[in-house]
Amino acid sequence: MNMTAQKNRILLAALRNMPIILFVGLFLCFGVLAPDFFRYQSIENAVKQASYVGIVAVGMAFVLLTGGIDLSVGSNMYLSTVVAGLCIQRFALSPAAAFVICIGAGFTFAMTNAFIVTRLRVVPFIATLATLVAGRGLGRMLSQSRAISFPETITRIGSARLFDVVPYPIVLFALTLLAAWIMLHRTQWGRQIYAVGYNLESARKAGINTVRIRAIAYVVCGVFASFGGFISVAQLGNVNAGFGRGSEFDAIAAAVLGGISLFGGIGSIFPGVLLGAVMIQLVSTGLVSAKVDLYLHSMISALIIFAAVAIDSHRTILLKKMQQRHIRIE
Amino acid sequence: MPSDAIQFENVSKEFFGIRALSGITLSMPPAQIIGIVGENGAGKSTLMNILGGIVTPDTGSMTCQGQPHKPAGPADATRAGIAFIHQELNLFGNLSIVDNLFIDGFPKIDRLGLLDKRKANQSAHQALQTVGLHCPVHTLVENLTPCEQQLVEIARAVGRNARLIILDEPTSSLTQNERDRLFSLMNTLRNAGCTLVFISHNLDEVLRMSDRIVVLRDGCLVSTGSKTEYTVERMIIDMVGRQIKNLYPPKTSVPSETILLEVSGVTRPGIIEDISFALHKGEILGLFGLMGSGRTELARILFGLDPCTAGEIVAINRPLRRHKPAESIHSGLAFVTENRRDEGLLMEASIEFNIALAALRQTAGSRSSIWVDHKAIRDKSLRVARDLRLQAADHKRQSARNLSGGNQQKLVIAKWLLTNPQILILDEPTRGIDVGAKYEIYTIMNNLAAGGAGILCISSELEELTATCDRILVMSNGRIHGDFARSEFNEKNMLHAAFKGLRTAAEPGDR
Amino acid sequence: MSGLRTRCTTLLAWLVADHFILVLTAVYFLVMWLIYPHMAGRRNLANLSSNMWPLMILVTGQMFVLLVGGIDLSQTSVMAVTSVIGSMIMTSRLDPAKFEHNPLWGVILSENGGLLAGHAMAVPAAVVLMLAVGAGIGLINGLATAKLRMPPFMVTLVTMSFFSGFAIYLTQSENIMHLPDSFIRIGKGSLGPVPYAMVLALLISLAAWIILNRLVLGRWLYAVGMNLKTAAVSGVPCAGVIVFAYVFSGFCAAAGAILYSARLEAGRPTLGQNLLLDIIGSAVIGGISLFGGKGKLRWAFYGVVFFVVLDNSLNTMPLNYYAVDIIKGAVILMAAVLDVVRNRLNQTGQISVGT
Repeated sequence: MNMTAQKNRILLAALRNMPIILFVGLFLCFGVLAPDFFRYQSIENAVKQASYVGIVAVGMAFVLLTGGIDLSVGSNMYLSTVVAGLCIQRFALSPAAAFVICIGAGFTFAMTNAFIVTRLRVVPFIATLATLVAGRGLGRMLSQSRAISFPETITRIGSARLFDVVPYPIVLFALTLLAAWIMLHRTQWGRQIYAVGYNLESARKAGINTVRIRAIAYVVCGVFASFGGFISVAQLGNVNAGFGRGSEFDAIAAAVLGGISLFGGIGSIFPGVLLGAVMIQLVSTGLVSAKVDLYLHSMISALIIFAAVAIDSHRTILLKKMQQRHIRIE
Repeated sequence: MPSDAIQFENVSKEFFGIRALSGITLSMPPAQIIGIVGENGAGKSTLMNILGGIVTPDTGSMTCQGQPHKPAGPADATRAGIAFIHQELNLFGNLSIVDNLFIDGFPKIDRLGLLDKRKANQSAHQALQTVGLHCPVHTLVENLTPCEQQLVEIARAVGRNARLIILDEPTSSLTQNERDRLFSLMNTLRNAGCTLVFISHNLDEVLRMSDRIVVLRDGCLVSTGSKTEYTVERMIIDMVGRQIKNLYPPKTSVPSETILLEVSGVTRPGIIEDISFALHKGEILGLFGLMGSGRTELARILFGLDPCTAGEIVAINRPLRRHKPAESIHSGLAFVTENRRDEGLLMEASIEFNIALAALRQTAGSRSSIWVDHKAIRDKSLRVARDLRLQAADHKRQSARNLSGGNQQKLVIAKWLLTNPQILILDEPTRGIDVGAKYEIYTIMNNLAAGGAGILCISSELEELTATCDRILVMSNGRIHGDFARSEFNEKNMLHAAFKGLRTAAEPGDR
Repeated sequence: MSGLRTRCTTLLAWLVADHFILVLTAVYFLVMWLIYPHMAGRRNLANLSSNMWPLMILVTGQMFVLLVGGIDLSQTSVMAVTSVIGSMIMTSRLDPAKFEHNPLWGVILSENGGLLAGHAMAVPAAVVLMLAVGAGIGLINGLATAKLRMPPFMVTLVTMSFFSGFAIYLTQSENIMHLPDSFIRIGKGSLGPVPYAMVLALLISLAAWIILNRLVLGRWLYAVGMNLKTAAVSGVPCAGVIVFAYVFSGFCAAAGAILYSARLEAGRPTLGQNLLLDIIGSAVIGGISLFGGKGKLRWAFYGVVFFVVLDNSLNTMPLNYYAVDIIKGAVILMAAVLDVVRNRLNQTGQISVGT
């Protein structure tokens, strides 16, 4: 075994486990700076606040795993909660019915994305960029750009605790993670999502219905986005015109930081996306507590995404190089 | 009497007005190994693609075990019990062996649609046992050797009880040991009642393994029969359809003593090791090696597309260190790549655009020119196209995509001729083009060498090299294992050298 | 059967023909004119023209990036940043109530304006700096895509977010007013009957035309976009060509920012925020392929005319403000679908579109 190959292998192992390495680093960093951080309360808070980003990021992971991207999740969150909120105002719905309507709206939104990407074959980022703008426009048209407040019956969910121990957002986040993990690892569709992301053409040749698999990924992403939107609204109490703007950023960042490759086929929901979402939340909590200028936050999160994407790209190049070696008979 | 495994009835197919298959009527009896031979472009892969549901025939019909077989896609063919194992394996490196085996149909626990992991693992284990691959079913496929990956593909076919398995060039990247292992597996499968279609360029292997032989030429069925009716010579005559001596033009060039390209000790760890040779003026130097021997990698390093860690490359007395392709071109090198579509041409661009691409500055008169000289490009491209007898309607409007394979290859050569190269590296220059066009490519090589250029011709067809080259280097496992002058040409020795590195390489152990 | 097929092919051929978008725009404009007669009024035409030239500059830059198979989503934030930075150099007065908390207050900003307030060289220096900053951001984009091999839309999405955040941070969300008259004249003045904006747009277009059609670099841009591997084998310095495209795009965005800021008489940290769809929409609907390697300057112009007329007519119609977004989104999708159709026809060899 020669030196460069050895070095590459170590580097690759490091890059593969980057989420854990980063997370531990960040955790220790915060711990040293603010010893309070290790208390249960602050950890619980971080996870609770990360829950809605995490749920959206889990959906995003499905799309990224197929090698696509969904920029419209923020608009989806906004539009589906606006629709739910308006229905509550108009028809005095129960929380459960509002929830169903919210998810239904998210599903419809996602089906549009899926149709445009898989049937009309438009490049994903352009397709979802268009639905991002159109979706927010539709939402603001429906809401007349006014904030829509949600009744107490729903906001109660945001602050309630299961058995008076675990906050509901965390429970729902955990359930989402579990459901997504089962979908990806214990169903045929999930395995096929990985196959499609590895190589679309090979997947087609292997007899996989690639159109359906990619569509499923977009639909899962949209449904989770509206779900995350609902939970976020339950914590905030109302939907204003800027709700969900930039959430696509946080979701992509959480997924990519969690080790999901933008190039498809690589990464896992657990613990990857969980760590990614908590990291994003830790950073923004940390910035607030360090009293960093509010205007700097978006710049810092942009830098973090840049680093995550750079790492992902480097890992992909390395993997390709190592596969090239495999051409040779050893 | 069991019905035939597969029957073709008058199957034809055209691509862009070119006949790929015409009126094939053929039956394949069950539980036999059927060897299909033919030159590149003879229609072997089209016929198999039709069988595998990847391509739909224009006319004709097929029956599979007595049932009409009309696959709308690969999935239909799979359902009919047909498994197609391509030369380039169709596996997902990011998934485990068991996932790869069942990717289009896992065993499921009832109703919920959840996977039955235990059952999947069990049947995967069983399938791996059948093909003789002993490693855990959860191993990621990207961590397997090419041979093991191939066994996984066969296990996939076995696992779903395929009755007909198509093996397209399965031996091209295997060592001799691995080949023997594959052959005994093929025999086992045949004895278990499977029909196997075996496509290979290695005629000895086809004759050794097959029960029946099918020979195709130019999209037509030339002959078929039991293997006892065939010898390697007969297969070649049937494949080529004419006297062999007409395949190659007479050699007119004579190498001189002047060295054009001198390579010493070039190394890239894990890819090529300590490569040294010299290319002379007027010489056609062959480089023979199997797929994966490092020949293409060597060419890429010489041309400056990939880096090397040690060694020296001197082109026409100019040392090239850490060079980029632009410098190679300036030093008189040209590189006709193995893959025209992906690396040789801009398929959507016009012929003229393609021809001018590598020589934009030369045509404008100086190396530092930033302007495009449209008139010079038009004149020169017309001239070089005429010299090469490149057949095209309109140089400005017709795109490279609309040319035939042979003309596309001439277009790539034309592109390089505009740079006035002294040293040409040709990687598989005749792959996938018809016999007539091959003859013309050989003539072009001859003329260039006669005009004083040195040519390094890489090929995996030994016969082509022995007919056209002055000297042949044999490469295997990243090293040069033989250097034969024209007087010493001997196919057996060269093949021996080509496999030498492989035989001495580590035996497949108990990984 | 075959008759229907040829008819379909003819229809498609017409759809992908060079002048389709221009004809479509003309027909659309005529119909609108019949419904809203003031569409062709002198004021509205002047309005159309003043909207068209800055957009043309931006789309020209975007086109270079699309040609090499990339995309530049950061153009809008380049505009915001350069607008703010340029204004900070040359503004002649700042309201302390608004800017006291600015991180640069007392450093280069004061009640008496920006760094070079009142100086004779203020405007030229600001303009040069704006262009340099634009090109610099382009350089970052280019290096990240070409050298680090990061996906272009991710890189530029991140720089978009970063630099629009930066612009807002620099100004703490305030507009910078009181720009010198000589600067404002760039956006509002004219050379005889020809507005300066048009002169600038034509100059940049001319430069772009020369690069694309007369320079070796132009051929390289197309080659890189059509097939990176082939280009590399043929001796094209691919990384350099890609970096150039992004730098040019950033440069054009800065030039656009000069025109827009001058017209608004302010440095605005949110400048261009709503322009992204217009830029990409114009380019794609004009026929510049998202898959790289295909596009002409003329097509960019057609696309810009289409989008400006569309935008203008939507504003004329009694529409909900937000419905405009929905329509623009739909138009972009249509354009992208048209791009897919064009590409597939091209690949199946039924119709050949020259480059």
